[in-house]
Amino acid sequence: MIISAWISIAALIWCIAFLVSYLIGLIRKGAPKDLSERSGNTVKGIIYSNTGAMLPAAKESAYMHLPTYTAGMIFHIGNFLSLLMFVWIIVCCCCNISTPAVLALILAALLTVSSLCGIFILIKRFVNVNLRSISCFDDFFSNIICTLFQIAGICIMLSFSNICTYTDACSADRLCLMNFYFIVAAILFIWMPLGKIKHLIYYFAARYHLGFFYGWRNTWPPKHI
Amino acid sequence: MDTITKEQRKAALDLMKANLASDSKFQTHLNACVRCGLCATSCMYYIAFKDPKYIPGRKVNLVSSIYRRYFTPEGKYFPSLFNARNLDAEMAEEMVDCLFGGCTMCGRCVKHCSIGVDVSYIVKKGREMLAVMGLVPKTLQATVDAAINTGNNMAIPTEEFVDTIKWMEEELQDEMGDPKANIPLDETNRHIIYTLNPREPKFFPLSISAMAKVFYAAGESWTLSSKYYDVTNYGFFNGNNEEAAKIAGYLYDETHRLKADKLVLGECGHGSRASRWEGPNLLKKAYDFEMTTALELMAEYIRTGRIKVDKTKNQTLCTLHDPCNLVRNGGLLEEMRFVVKSCVANFVEMTPHGNDNFCCGGGGGQLAMSEYNERRLKIGGIKADQIKATGAKIVITPCHNCVDQLMQINHTYKLGVTIKTVAEIVADALVLPDPASPHDNPADTAAETVADPLHTDSNSSK
Repeated sequence: MIISAWISIAALIWCIAFLVSYLIGLIRKGAPKDLSERSGNTVKGIIYSNTGAMLPAAKESAYMHLPTYTAGMIFHIGNFLSLLMFVWIIVCCCCNISTPAVLALILAALLTVSSLCGIFILIKRFVNVNLRSISCFDDFFSNIICTLFQIAGICIMLSFSNICTYTDACSADRLCLMNFYFIVAAILFIWMPLGKIKHLIYYFAARYHLGFFYGWRNTWPPKHI
Repeated sequence: MDTITKEQRKAALDLMKANLASDSKFQTHLNACVRCGLCATSCMYYIAFKDPKYIPGRKVNLVSSIYRRYFTPEGKYFPSLFNARNLDAEMAEEMVDCLFGGCTMCGRCVKHCSIGVDVSYIVKKGREMLAVMGLVPKTLQATVDAAINTGNNMAIPTEEFVDTIKWMEEELQDEMGDPKANIPLDETNRHIIYTLNPREPKFFPLSISAMAKVFYAAGESWTLSSKYYDVTNYGFFNGNNEEAAKIAGYLYDETHRLKADKLVLGECGHGSRASRWEGPNLLKKAYDFEMTTALELMAEYIRTGRIKVDKTKNQTLCTLHDPCNLVRNGGLLEEMRFVVKSCVANFVEMTPHGNDNFCCGGGGGQLAMSEYNERRLKIGGIKADQIKATGAKIVITPCHNCVDQLMQINHTYKLGVTIKTVAEIVADALVLPDPASPHDNPADTAAETVADPLHTDSNSSK
């Protein structure tokens, strides 16, 4: 494997180490402690928090902002897909195998859509005065690096399908592209636990706490009146 | 504010450090916000003013930026990249303005947050930091001080309170045509100790007699305390947990002193929350007596047939305002509607309502902070529009703080509606037994209830 690949793997290890330490930190502090008499069902509350409460119809942040919500969902799907693709590319590099051309095209198409969504959200953050007023460097950079990671993934998929294997890059003009991809990945992994992308962990914790809170008080799951 | 001292800063940061060390919820919500800004349109301050300083995510960011600055390496070394801010005078001033003066802690944005950040929880934590820095708005602090020093937040002298109760008792006896109908004070070994919002004896004594009428009809064994009857707890809003615990302790101790089986929280949203949900946590012990809200108690009376109501007695079109602390943050969505719909013939919901309802605008201690009156009434315009759209002539709400704000909204926006508590609506719908009949006399039933522990147990709400 080329050196940039090793750098990205090291960055990934750094990232995982941080995220796991955050997770352990949360777990160590334990479940919420509440001495009041429980009125509802916390398990049902937590389940609802992660299911029904996330449906677009349940949240103004979704149904009042459908274009942004949709773009956000697609962008996040693209991010997860990109992370899985990174693992796949590393495996391909190690095992000297290639991605089937059809699969590569499908992935590239999906990432094209999701990266466009990322660009849309980024533009909105630049253009919308309110949004810009609550934003800092981290908000812009986190979006840019994720979008760039997806775009780099598209390039890799289009360049390295079963036409050639990833190891070919070491001896071909595709080396530059491979380096670009792995460097972007490395920057993303280094940034992830520092910037707001760490909500990858805290999002789930937030849904848990919210489900516990509303479940305890019998607000969630909601009653039909 | 010119400056804050090192001691003030240290006190706030020490508190944050202690919370971070023990509370996964605090750590979670400080790190979860992605500043998408989609919460803006769920906040009545933002809707009313269109000022980005009211975006809920920005309020979270005020507290989380301090966290990043002092408790994360990236914020320590690269503060500008991560919006990590120093806790200085400018920051403290901004926090006071937004966390005290720009949030009712209604939690509407929480439910609608794309991530699930508990904004009102973080706002509360921010207020706690300001409290240890001695930066609680003076008006709010004065309300808390009154409650601590006199037992009630309006500093009503006991003699005045007792006089009001005696007056209401005479009214009750006249209305019921029963000299045995009473409003017991400081009686021991009663099933229920009932609590009030001090606004009731001060401004709305008829709501006391309405609840007394319900108790009378139910043949309940109950009492009021002449000293510690205040259900409110503004310590929940000023961020001083020691003071909040002290106020919560008053009701806890009084329930024990009067040897009551059950503490019933009068119609007050935040007061009910402060005792029912926060009280045990503030006092760091589970309560060893039952506790319920007046709303749940009335629902139980109706369900079990202990009181009979006739909805045709209330023909005027009514709507319901859901107090945030009883519904979204208290889970009483159904109970409230069960009681109200049992007692009124014509009912219409607001849009939105229930867990999505807008705050009246008086929550979060806003009614106690006169410096923010203009803002409070402006955000109340949203509620005014909601009420207007229903066409209702009566607005019912089981919260005296909401009543107060709704009355001001009614006046300001010329709505021409009547504001009533749930007890008042239930009292109006009561089908009272004939006091002449010995078997129907609720006052006698009350005496029997005390004498019969089995009967008492069967009337427990939980």
